Amino acid sequence: MTFASFIAKNALRNKRRALLTVVSVAVSCGLLVTLLTLQRELTVPPESEAASLRVIARNKVSLAQPLPAKQLSVVEKIPGVVAVSPFTYFGGNFRDETVTSFAQFAVDPARFRDLIVEGKIADGSYDDFIKDRTSCFVGADTMKRYGLKIGDKMRFTGTFYPVDLDLKILAVFQGTVDDRGVFFHHKLLDELMGNPGTVGTWYLRVASADVANDVIARVDKAFENSSAEVRAETERAFQMGFISMLGNVKMLIGSISAVVVFTLVLVTVSTMSMAIRERFRELAVLKALGFKRTELFGFILAESFGLAALGAWVGIGGSWAFWTLIDLQKLTNGFLLYFEVTPRIMATGATVAALLGIVSAIGPALAVARTSVVEGLKTLD
Amino acid sequence: MAAEPIVVVRDLSKIYRQGDINVVALDHVSLDITAGEFVVLMGPSGSGKSTLLHIIAGIDRPTSGSAKVQGIDIAQLDESQLADWRNQNVGFVFQSFNLIPVLTAAENVELPLLLTDLNGRERRKQVQTALELVGLADRGHHRPDQMSGGQQQRVAIARALVTDPALIVADEPTGNLDAKSAGDVLAILRSLTLTAGKTVVMVTHDPKSAAYGSRSLHLEKGEIAA
Repeated sequence: MTFASFIAKNALRNKRRALLTVVSVAVSCGLLVTLLTLQRELTVPPESEAASLRVIARNKVSLAQPLPAKQLSVVEKIPGVVAVSPFTYFGGNFRDETVTSFAQFAVDPARFRDLIVEGKIADGSYDDFIKDRTSCFVGADTMKRYGLKIGDKMRFTGTFYPVDLDLKILAVFQGTVDDRGVFFHHKLLDELMGNPGTVGTWYLRVASADVANDVIARVDKAFENSSAEVRAETERAFQMGFISMLGNVKMLIGSISAVVVFTLVLVTVSTMSMAIRERFRELAVLKALGFKRTELFGFILAESFGLAALGAWVGIGGSWAFWTLIDLQKLTNGFLLYFEVTPRIMATGATVAALLGIVSAIGPALAVARTSVVEGLKTLD
Repeated sequence: MAAEPIVVVRDLSKIYRQGDINVVALDHVSLDITAGEFVVLMGPSGSGKSTLLHIIAGIDRPTSGSAKVQGIDIAQLDESQLADWRNQNVGFVFQSFNLIPVLTAAENVELPLLLTDLNGRERRKQVQTALELVGLADRGHHRPDQMSGGQQQRVAIARALVTDPALIVADEPTGNLDAKSAGDVLAILRSLTLTAGKTVVMVTHDPKSAAYGSRSLHLEKGEIAA
């Protein structure tokens, strides 16, 4: 017999309780990891190198307010701007869907080509897209999800604009951080809307990340005190602005995570307390045989830590395997594109479990330390 | 030449606090126990016999006075030193056996040896010797719930013997046993004093059990009766 086998036998003496403890720790750790991953996915948009070179300029009053199309000639002449295109959110529903999870944008195809430098053409021809103003340029994920092919039609019912779109797929892109979007000719939207002479936003590419802040300042300044003042920001800042519209998601998920951890602590502390309380007399006998307080604390800690570690391994590993193996887009109807259980998140879950193992051992260990051998021997079984 | 006493108790008192009342468990007790003796402590409930046994065994501390075992004043040892001292010098036999239910008989006997420097093979050899001494060499792989009360108490005696301590303390070791098993256990304890030179101090209520001892001491209200 070794200390390790002695600890293992004690930990597993009540197999049902040990199993339930491991399962409760596993479920809680899995839930915690899932919540932390969801929090990350909702509050930290995926980044690409090219995204750091892109700037979005919108109406300073509100994103819902359009900008005059005539601003283009001013924007493209601002030093540091390499490419610019109108970029107008259409917000339609595909086919008979009531909520479509991928976005559609009206762009100037010829200008837009210079903006999405990180993507590549997976199918069809971008030149064909440029030539046909009723065509569209579609992300590979959307093509795959709906079983679409080049030449197919995509019909969108307008919800934001009072018009519908009938678009023919002529090019497919992939290799961006979000291969779901659909892009079509701004001219088509203009025609359908009676040429209002407006755009939703301006989408810019700057020469280098070093000049991005200067370009933003110049764009803002160029339209200062005009009837349509502009607010420019990096693509990432723009995405974060969208996220903030969801409310304080970070705090909400953080609060739920805290409740999960707190419940987990209660469950484990309670289990360990019961496990130790029912063998107080045995621990007193061990003391009589010469085991010291530190050794008994080591036994209790190892037992508690072992159960928590096993639960964490099952919960965190299971969570990682589940989110890695499932088709997340299908499961969330395209709401979530990525759900990456990062090493950092797994380490956070493991740290919580480790602390849990330590915290839940402290109370019982102190109770054992405070009890004399004689008092312990008087304890009823 | 008279044998050296292994236990020297001088002017030993133990006072418990129970609410607002002081309860005198031991009142200036003095006694010597010689090596190889089988001393029986008798007396009514509350007479202080178990308290005296606990202090001699180093699991309780006196309020005043001294208790020297093999020349060491155990009341002066700190918690950690006392734990080491118990492991090396005292073997315990309790009324309710107090074996660990998830361990086999051999593993229960091996427990005190985990605190020594012996390797696994040496430990197993000593465990086997101890189990042979109590007549349970073939039951080492049985768990306590697979054994009778008498056998469990014999395993407890083997656990008390395995570190080869000079002193064995037994608190009502036959209290939970039938007459046959009690006789077996007491015979083993007596043979340990006669053949192995161990000193046994035993608490009992039972005069028949006391008859196995070499000397009986009667305690009354915390004092040794004349």
